[in-house]
Amino acid sequence: MCSACGFPTAPGHWTDAGASTAHDRLRGRMRRAQVLQTVLPLYGLKAYDGGEVPGIQISTLSGSETIVRDLGEVWMLAEKISGGPVDPLDPRFIGEE
Amino acid sequence: MSEADGRVRLTVLGGYLGSGKTTWLRHQLHEGQFSRALIIVNEAAETPVDDALLGQSNRLEVLAGGCVCCTAKQQLIDLLRRICDARSKADAGGERLSQIVLETSGLADPGPIVEAIRSDPVLVYHIIVSEVIVAVDALHGLSQLKTEPLGRRQIDVADRLIITKADAADETTLTTLTATLARLNPGAAISGAVKGVAYPLPDWSSAVPEVLPEISGGAKAPVTPTRLYLDDSIDWSAFTVWLSALLHARGDDIVRVKGVVRTPAGRLLLQTVRKIVQSPEILPEQGDQREDNMIVVIGRGYTESQLKRSLHYFAGITDAR
Repeated sequence: MCSACGFPTAPGHWTDAGASTAHDRLRGRMRRAQVLQTVLPLYGLKAYDGGEVPGIQISTLSGSETIVRDLGEVWMLAEKISGGPVDPLDPRFIGEE
Repeated sequence: MSEADGRVRLTVLGGYLGSGKTTWLRHQLHEGQFSRALIIVNEAAETPVDDALLGQSNRLEVLAGGCVCCTAKQQLIDLLRRICDARSKADAGGERLSQIVLETSGLADPGPIVEAIRSDPVLVYHIIVSEVIVAVDALHGLSQLKTEPLGRRQIDVADRLIITKADAADETTLTTLTATLARLNPGAAISGAVKGVAYPLPDWSSAVPEVLPEISGGAKAPVTPTRLYLDDSIDWSAFTVWLSALLHARGDDIVRVKGVVRTPAGRLLLQTVRKIVQSPEILPEQGDQREDNMIVVIGRGYTESQLKRSLHYFAGITDAR
């Protein structure tokens, strides 16, 4: 697949590919922060994205705050702070505690 | 064997999950290679995706829902027999099929496929396996050779090895991989490619091949495909939070994810290879959409139910227990 034989690819981080208008992008960012908020508190972290500044704000329980660009960076930061990766198959998420 | 013996030439295109087989084939079709060939695409999962990408081909058959080197071997033999039968009955004045390209699933060992065709009492008179081409991922090839017995078996049977995504790896990785492949299969021609376009490989004559550990067949559980349906309650944002976390945490065990997802920005073709997610391609609205919103996850270390519950948790759906 060169540029001629493939289909066009969505620009930016792959997780941003689901929105093509500014409205959809903003809604997607807010929803993303909402989803992160159901997951990160179990690892002692909080997520916020109000759409005012680019990036996702991640804060710890002690109040220190970092802004990351995309979800890839969220998981790297979370792993660094909590000492292990945020695992979607964590028994707490799948009801196998 | 000369072409004049009248048999159909069969090219087997193999390679590990996500090694770039379809991308390579797609570009060859675009360039006019195999233009008169019948293309057979095999996918281990029941949700075919690759056929949507091979629109350049005039003739395409899909064998989905099983790997043709094992569970779906008989289906392949039956299909090839039907093809040969139709060819024999075709009008002598018309154009006869002269070539077939079989793109195997990433879970296939081309060895048993070739063996099955050569030992079939009917097919042996109609089909000659002319070449086994195996794609090897420049970035992940070495680690696959170290840990996956299947990855090594695919290399062993190749006549031609194509190192794909050759621009993504640094020179040391590339020369070490080339030297390792040359040691494993000294008879195979090795070349490089980027998105199907030939790419010159650096000089590897002085590179030291990687010492590969012994691996027993059962050391690691085999990878299996799982289908996940993304219904309307699972939005793109929740899905991407879930998948990006899953790949970050489990990327060594989730070797491949692919599928077409409907989003406000259109139909997106999503493909991952271990932790790497390709930029989604925006597919046209036309075409077969029956398999949209069906994701295939190929890996090990979880059950289908666990994957579903995990995704539902991220999407805020409460599962009945």
